[in-house]
Amino acid sequence: MVLAQILLNGILLGGLYGLMALGMALVWGVLNIVNLSHGALIMLGGYVVYYLFTIGGIDPFVALPIAMLVMFAVGFLLQYYLLNLVVRSKMLNTLLITFGLDVVLTYLAQLTFSADFRTINPPYAGANFALFGLTVPSVRLAAFVVAIVLAAALWFLLHRMALGRAIRATAQNLVAARLYGVNPSVLYAVTFGIGTALAGAAGGLYGMIANLTPYIGASLTAKSFVIAIIGGLSNPFYVIFGGIFVGIAESLTALYIGPTYSDVISFGLLVVVLVLRPNRTLRTS
Amino acid sequence: MKKQIGLAGIAALVAASLLAPAAQAEDVITLGASVQLTGTNANTGRYYKDAYQLAIDKINAAGGVKVGDKTYQLKLDVLDNQSDVNLSVRQYVQLISADKVNFLLGPFASNFALSDSSVAEKYQIPMVQGGGAATQIYTRGYKYVFGTLPPADDYYASTIEMMGKMNPAPKSVALVAADDSFDVSVAKGTRKHLADAGMKLAVDETFREGSADFSTILTQVKAANVDAILWTGHETEALNFIRQMKGLNVNPNGLYAFTVGVPTADFRKALGPDANYAYGMTSWLPNPSLKDKWFGDAAQFAAEYKAKFNYSPDYHAASGAADVETFAMALEKAGSLDPKKVRDAIAGISFDSLYANIKYGADGQIVLPQVVVQIQNDKLVPIYTTDFINKAQYPTPAWDKR
Repeated sequence: MVLAQILLNGILLGGLYGLMALGMALVWGVLNIVNLSHGALIMLGGYVVYYLFTIGGIDPFVALPIAMLVMFAVGFLLQYYLLNLVVRSKMLNTLLITFGLDVVLTYLAQLTFSADFRTINPPYAGANFALFGLTVPSVRLAAFVVAIVLAAALWFLLHRMALGRAIRATAQNLVAARLYGVNPSVLYAVTFGIGTALAGAAGGLYGMIANLTPYIGASLTAKSFVIAIIGGLSNPFYVIFGGIFVGIAESLTALYIGPTYSDVISFGLLVVVLVLRPNRTLRTS
Repeated sequence: MKKQIGLAGIAALVAASLLAPAAQAEDVITLGASVQLTGTNANTGRYYKDAYQLAIDKINAAGGVKVGDKTYQLKLDVLDNQSDVNLSVRQYVQLISADKVNFLLGPFASNFALSDSSVAEKYQIPMVQGGGAATQIYTRGYKYVFGTLPPADDYYASTIEMMGKMNPAPKSVALVAADDSFDVSVAKGTRKHLADAGMKLAVDETFREGSADFSTILTQVKAANVDAILWTGHETEALNFIRQMKGLNVNPNGLYAFTVGVPTADFRKALGPDANYAYGMTSWLPNPSLKDKWFGDAAQFAAEYKAKFNYSPDYHAASGAADVETFAMALEKAGSLDPKKVRDAIAGISFDSLYANIKYGADGQIVLPQVVVQIQNDKLVPIYTTDFINKAQYPTPAWDKR
C-alpha cells in the first residue's frame, strides 16, 4: 500500500514537473534558446497568482488563465526587445543573456516582493479524498489535470492551427517560412510568450503545493532542463511523460535509497539518457 | 562638461570615503559581520543585521563603550554573503585583512558559522555569533569562537521531557531531519534523548536541504502510525511539510513539533489556521523579567525593534543583540582592544541581558533551556521549559476534525 501511495505521489508531482518543463522545451525546440531564466519566470507566475488571490480575492485556479495572459505579455516583450537580439547567434550568447536575466529577475523579485515566504493557500489547499485506500490530495490532482490539458492544448496549437504550423515551419526552415510571409521576430516573441505563459501556469500551481520565494527559480530551471532533455523537445506529451518519469524516479529513490538522493537520481537519469540516446535532444519538430 | 563634473564628484566621494575612517579611527571600534541579506536565507539573515545595528545604536546613544580611560563609539561593518557559504568565508577574511575590523559578529545558520569561525580562529580575532547552534562548531578546540544559541543536540530535550508527562504519553516517534550541520546535530542529540526516555524511533528519515516535496516521507510516517513527529530543518521546508501533511491527511496520534519556524510571525501568516496545534521551540521570549543594561528589559527591546524595523524580533534577533552586548561588556572588563585580552574577558563574562544571563561554557557555547511553544488559535503560547507554563492543546485533532 505504501508503494502504491508513493507511486501515486510521484505521478501527480510528475505532472506538475512536466508542465514546468513544457515551456522550456518549446522555447528550446523552436528558438534554440536554453532559457536559464525559465525558473525565474515560473517564480514570477507564482507571484502573479499569489497577488491575484490575496489582494484580488480571485480563486487561484481562476487566476491561472489571467496569470498566463500577464506572463505571455512579459515573455512576448522579453523576446521582442531583448532575446531577438541574440536569437540566431551562438548558444553561449543565449546562455549568458538568459543567465543574466535570471539574476535580474530574482533580485528585482526580492526588492519588490521581499524575501518572505508566500503560500497560495485557498481553503481547499489541504483537501483530499480516499480512493481504493489511497489518499489523493485534491490540489495535486487538479494540478496534474491542468498540466495534461495545457499539454494537449499546446499539441493542438502546434499541429492543428495555422499559428502552430508557422512556428514549426520557422523552426525547420527559416527562409522558406519567410517566403510564405511569416515575420520571424514577431513569431519568436509569440513562441517565447507561450513558453512563458506555461511557466506562469506552473508557477501558480507550484505556489499551491510549495512555498514561493524569489529564489526558487534556479532549482526549477535545473529540474525543467533535465525533464526537457529526458522528454525530448518534439512533442508536449513526451515532456509530460518525462516529468512523470522523473517524479516517480524521485519518489522511489526517496523510499528505497533515501530522500537526500533524489536529485542525484534525476541528474543521473539525465546522464544516462544523454549517453544512450544522444539524438533525443535534437529538434525533430 | 557634465562628464567632468561627474568625475570630479566621484573623485571627491572617493577621497571622502578614504579620509573618513582615518579621521575617526582613533575613537571607533568596528564590529564586522557577513550576513545573509539576499538569497535563500535572507528571511532570517535580516534579524542579525537589524539586531546588531539596533544594539550598537543603543550602546552609542548611552555614551558608547569605556575601554581603559578612553570612550569609544561602536560601528557596524556588515557585508551581504548572498546566502553563499564560500562567499561568507572570503568576506570574513576581507573584514579582517582589508577592512581591519576590530572584532567579529557572526552570520546566520550553523553551516555558515562552522566555516566562518575558522577564519576568526586563524586570525585570532574573537567572534561572538548568535546564529549557529551545531555542537560541531564548539568541539574543535577553538579559543576565539563564542555562541549565544544553545547546543543543537539538546533542542528537543525539553520537548521530549514534556512528552513524557503528557497523557497519553507518545510511545513511537518519527524523526525527520534535513542534512545540514545544524539538523544533523539536532537529529543525533534527539535520537539519544528519545532512547533515554524509552520512546521508540519508528521512522528516522533525512531529507536534502531545500527539499520542497515531502510526500514520500509523509507516506512512510503515515504507514507507521506514529504518536509524534519531531521535525528539524529550515522554515520554508517546515511550511511545505505542514501543508503536505494536511494534503496527505497525515495525523500523528499525539503531536508534531518543529525546531524552527513556529515562533515567527511569518509562519502563522503563511499557514493561517493550519498553523494551529503545531509545537515549536524558542530560546527566548520577550519577557520583562529579562533585565538589560541598555534596553531596560526584553519587552522594551522587542517594542523598539518592532517600531524601528516594522516586524517582530524572535530569538535570532535577541541572540544577535546579546552578541553586541557581550563585546561592550567584555571590552570594558578587558580595558584594552587587544584581541587576546578581549577573548579572555569574554570567556569569563557573566551578565544579565535582554536575551538571557550571558555566560559561556569552556567550549564557548552558552547553555540555555528551550521553551516549548504551541500555536493556539493563531497565538504563540509558551507551554513548557522544566515544567508546564500553560496548558497544551493535546492530543492534536486530525486535520478533518478541526
